[in-house]
Amino acid sequence: MTLTLWHIPDWGSSIIRLALEEQGQPYQLHMMDWDAGDFDAPAFRAVNPLGLIPALETPDGPMFETAAILLWLNARHGGLAPAPTDPARAAFLSWLMFTSNTVHTTVLALIHPDQLAGPDAADEVARLAVERLTEQAAHLETLLNTQTPPWLTPTQPALGHYLGILLRWAAYLPEDPALRFSLDPFPALHAMLSAHEATPAARRVAKADSLGPHPYTAPEIPE
Amino acid sequence: MYKLHYAPDNASLVIRLVLDGAGIPYQTHLVDRAKRQQDSPAYRALNPTGLIPTLETPQGPISETGAILLWLSDMHQLGPAAQTAERGLFLRWLFFLSNSAHADLRQIFYPHQYCPADAHPGHRVILTARMRDHFSLLNTATRELPSLFAAGRPLGAYAVTLTRWSALYPPNAPRWFDLAEYPALFVLAEAQEARVETPVIARAEGLGPHPFTRPEHPNPPEGSVL
Repeated sequence: MTLTLWHIPDWGSSIIRLALEEQGQPYQLHMMDWDAGDFDAPAFRAVNPLGLIPALETPDGPMFETAAILLWLNARHGGLAPAPTDPARAAFLSWLMFTSNTVHTTVLALIHPDQLAGPDAADEVARLAVERLTEQAAHLETLLNTQTPPWLTPTQPALGHYLGILLRWAAYLPEDPALRFSLDPFPALHAMLSAHEATPAARRVAKADSLGPHPYTAPEIPE
Repeated sequence: MYKLHYAPDNASLVIRLVLDGAGIPYQTHLVDRAKRQQDSPAYRALNPTGLIPTLETPQGPISETGAILLWLSDMHQLGPAAQTAERGLFLRWLFFLSNSAHADLRQIFYPHQYCPADAHPGHRVILTARMRDHFSLLNTATRELPSLFAAGRPLGAYAVTLTRWSALYPPNAPRWFDLAEYPALFVLAEAQEARVETPVIARAEGLGPHPFTRPEHPNPPEGSVL
């Protein structure tokens, strides 16, 4: 069975690439170029009519939505997160959904602040976004300090890598340093992400996608 | 037995429609927002974000509407099983409802959390346009995948509740949403109202006689919407 990931390094498709590498699943990459108009190309629109990545072609048809793809891969090949019968599933799903609809949307507001209310409001939109993100990180910090969930360790790495890429973007993409997210107040979150960026799979993806030696805890602009 | 922490016309409504739609027994427990009980230590111990709903289960509390729907789907076979070809579509639309449609609607309800006051009118124009696009996609999906978006089931109940809120909230803002522009969603709203459990839930939460096709501002017998 062939899985094909439509991919731009350090975009949302890197989250899926990390999951595929952790599973040791064979997959093909279809590299894309935003500036070349690949998102409007008929070949891509035939896969995803909305023109968004990540998109993963599977034997069941194309899959979209980062968290949906992670759950699908986990159900098919395991090793990423609690299985449906695992009692830890309830808590895992709560925090996966929180990451998808709250952390991810907040990070998008922070790195594309002009898209919510126009260019004049962009600085204030970004400031509010990094404030919200800091509150959200505090919830994750408390979770890590009180429960040490196995689904935030490298043995079940899907959510850790998802958070790692999101918080990486939040830490380096805002042009104004005052609007960049910092892990400094969150030692447990830092330790969790540090463990995830050190897995062999994460190192392979970091090298292939030029994410630097510490993609989550000390992100650098990719070359 | 499951315990659903709810407030009238909050996202707990989606869970109620699905639980009662499948005949799954549960208790309700009011979170009185007028007393800000969602910020109480007892509630925050169940759900650190303080958002409603939370469902207490034998596996512990679950928060986030979409997470509860997915967990219930797998426990009670309310959606495609993990190894079926439809599973991918189900997951994709569940996350779309949660992280695109519901998340953008929340911005329309609470703009002060997202942008400065002088930018609220522009923010509203952008977000309502995005919501119309989301509803167009959902209308097409509902038409093409009627069994996935059935009334009383996770995707159908979630989508139809978002149409209700779009017609009503925030209370004092100009209207931007007309269900008649989305024929498949209108049919879904009629189907949801035709189910036996809907009037029972509507009475319990004060939602009026036509909570989805002709939404009115609720008059709940207990608790507070906001």
